[in-house]
Amino acid sequence: MKKLIQFKNIVKEFDGKLVLKGVNLDIYENEFVTLLGPSGCGKTTLLRILGGFLTQNEGEVLFDGQEISKVPPYKREINTVFQKYALFPNMNVYNNIAFGLKIKKEPKDIIEQKVKRMLKLVNLEDYADRSVTEMSGGQQQRVAIARALVNEPSVLLLDEPLGALDLKLRQEMQHELKKIQKEVGITFIFVTHDQEEALTMSDKIVVMKDGEIQQIGTPTDIYNEPVNEFVANFIGESNIIEGVMLQDKVVMFEGRKFDCVDEGFAENEVVDVVIRPEDLDIVPREAGKLKGVVKSVLFKGVHYETMVETKVGTEITVQMQVSDDRPVHNEAANEKISANDFYLDVEDIEELDEATIIARADAQAWNPEEDELISIKEVQYTIKKENGTYPVTFSTAAGTSVTVNMIVKDENRIISQENEEQIFAVNFFKKVDEIQESIALETDLKTWANASAWSLDGEQAVEITDVKYDFDPEHITPGTYAVTFATKGYEYKIDTTDKHEVGEEVGLTFTPEDIHIMSRAQ
Amino acid sequence: MRQFRSMIYPYVVWLAIMVVVPMLLILLYAFTKEGNSVTTFRFTLENFTRFFSDAVFLDVLKRSLIIAIVTTILCVLLGYPIAYAIASGPEKSRMFWILMITMPTWINMLVRTYAWVGILQDDGLLNKLFGLFGLEPVKMMYTTFAVVLGMVYNFIPFMILQIHASLAKMDKSLLEAASDLGANRWQSFLRVTLPLSLPGVLSGITLVFLPAVSSFFIPKLLGGGQYVLIGNVIETQFLTSGDWNFGSAISLIMAIIIMLSMYFTRKVDTDPSANGRSE
Repeated sequence: MKKLIQFKNIVKEFDGKLVLKGVNLDIYENEFVTLLGPSGCGKTTLLRILGGFLTQNEGEVLFDGQEISKVPPYKREINTVFQKYALFPNMNVYNNIAFGLKIKKEPKDIIEQKVKRMLKLVNLEDYADRSVTEMSGGQQQRVAIARALVNEPSVLLLDEPLGALDLKLRQEMQHELKKIQKEVGITFIFVTHDQEEALTMSDKIVVMKDGEIQQIGTPTDIYNEPVNEFVANFIGESNIIEGVMLQDKVVMFEGRKFDCVDEGFAENEVVDVVIRPEDLDIVPREAGKLKGVVKSVLFKGVHYETMVETKVGTEITVQMQVSDDRPVHNEAANEKISANDFYLDVEDIEELDEATIIARADAQAWNPEEDELISIKEVQYTIKKENGTYPVTFSTAAGTSVTVNMIVKDENRIISQENEEQIFAVNFFKKVDEIQESIALETDLKTWANASAWSLDGEQAVEITDVKYDFDPEHITPGTYAVTFATKGYEYKIDTTDKHEVGEEVGLTFTPEDIHIMSRAQ
Repeated sequence: MRQFRSMIYPYVVWLAIMVVVPMLLILLYAFTKEGNSVTTFRFTLENFTRFFSDAVFLDVLKRSLIIAIVTTILCVLLGYPIAYAIASGPEKSRMFWILMITMPTWINMLVRTYAWVGILQDDGLLNKLFGLFGLEPVKMMYTTFAVVLGMVYNFIPFMILQIHASLAKMDKSLLEAASDLGANRWQSFLRVTLPLSLPGVLSGITLVFLPAVSSFFIPKLLGGGQYVLIGNVIETQFLTSGDWNFGSAISLIMAIIIMLSMYFTRKVDTDPSANGRSE
């Protein structure tokens, strides 16, 4: 096949913002090429540069070996089907389609012959005299295609032409467009953000993001072997799990070795493992390569979308002691002051200062009438680097004071070798009204318990995604409550035809071909 | 919505008093003989026969129509390029130029027309300017030129605004489509822009032609006493001769001419054959 269009290092910026960052792309004769990407990825800009409506800041566009950047649109052998069709409202269907031929001053009988052939191609034979404003979206779409194709271009550009149509019509038009492209045998360049559209029609898909090409390949290539997480997620849904490539065709994830078909990675290279939801099967627990519990089931029409958790995250549970202590009231100075007992690690003592103590004890003084905070002027305490209980007294300038205890205890930490992470949290004391008045309770609980999670090497923070408690914050009474913090576990999305029950213990299975490995470098 | 129905009654009453009753009175006067007493009127067609049998009046009518048509054509020829230039500019400059076009209309038309007297008269601004270049003074006041100039000056904003409105609302992707299909700028203009802006041109024509054909103070100020247009005739009948019946009849004739011209303009505007396959 012959290279018809070559984009060479195309750079385009609008108002100082780079929209295309050096795009290189070859398009061959008779190809159905789709530029696929989310809005703002530069796909339409690239198309408009080819159409001649925009000029690139850098780079060359070659058409049949000729540089065409300086050629105006009306001299290019390229026609466009515009996003909103851009049909001429002052002309009927016939005149819209005949527009290009009339400009070229073709003889009347030839025009009539060609327009009729086009009307037949797009199934609008009886609509020649209709006004385009009276037509449905799908019909206008066909007129727009006919109007472009009648000029016999070597390339047809289609800028999200199906975007305005409803689902059923869109699917119909997808098949029709593919059929038309095969029939007329020219290059179609189709721009869309709809991955299904791209997969259905294209010979070649160009996935774009942020002005750069991510991957170029056939629909099967792109679907089965996405090069990175973005492509994997953009083209259909995926389970993406962190893994390590032990050697060619062997990958380890979830602490186990699996055979796969990928090779060419470095030994022990950290990779992303992609498994499509439809490639996973739910089997009895004993037969599964992975074991897990069904977390949720969603009915999706033709299938159930089942979430299976194979591993819970790392959890830590702490005690929250709730009291209904009243603040100390100094009537003479018209001040109130309050503070909580709190726990400390021995290791924390070294870095302990007054600000930290005030924060951990949540010490506050205020004027009850004006509801204005008063600064705490003095923090009195003595502490040793060993377990024990140490009193601390907070006072204001007016002499209002409150005394609470700092309890030094061994560090409360849970290490999960399996998850390669550790999680910390401490017991804490709170008052009834503090819990009732909390606006973001989960965040506050994390702060109060000083909860945090880290990777085992201590370098990477791990997000605590789950805060579990079994009290009603609105109607809490004094007492001791358990609060559990947990990191995220591994969840798999599986498309199944059978319905599984939430809480069912199941196994998951897949074949080596179902595993796709993506390099993390990109 | 039903309960709002009754709210239109005040407007019906208003319309009746301010529009329908005066129209009926004009009708009544036009078809009756002298004497303003309502109780003794006698019906007659005398007023109309007088108008159509007197060559002087027909002459004035012809001149009025010609001046109005010339004014309208000049407004289209001058206004279209201006509107086009404004509409193709960026949003901000568009707002600015539309303001510039509209601003003079905030000042009384009479005052602005008087200003032209100062410019055009024999020892006026223009002739003084010519003098600087050693040219002989040119007589401009009280000529057809001055009347047409005054009318074009006064009425062209209506034309520009109408054409601009229809150009501005045009979908720009249509021009891209035309270019994509092989049309150069001139071809795109002829086949897409111009036909799509025609409704604006037509309503501009209506808005210019109507005041131009019945204007009486512009010919009076810039044309002088001897330059009589139909508006002046009507004015004279009412204010000087006191012949309200004849004045009403001429008004009625003008109203019919205007109604007919509007009808034909509308017809061209919505004619479906303009949409057809014919070239």
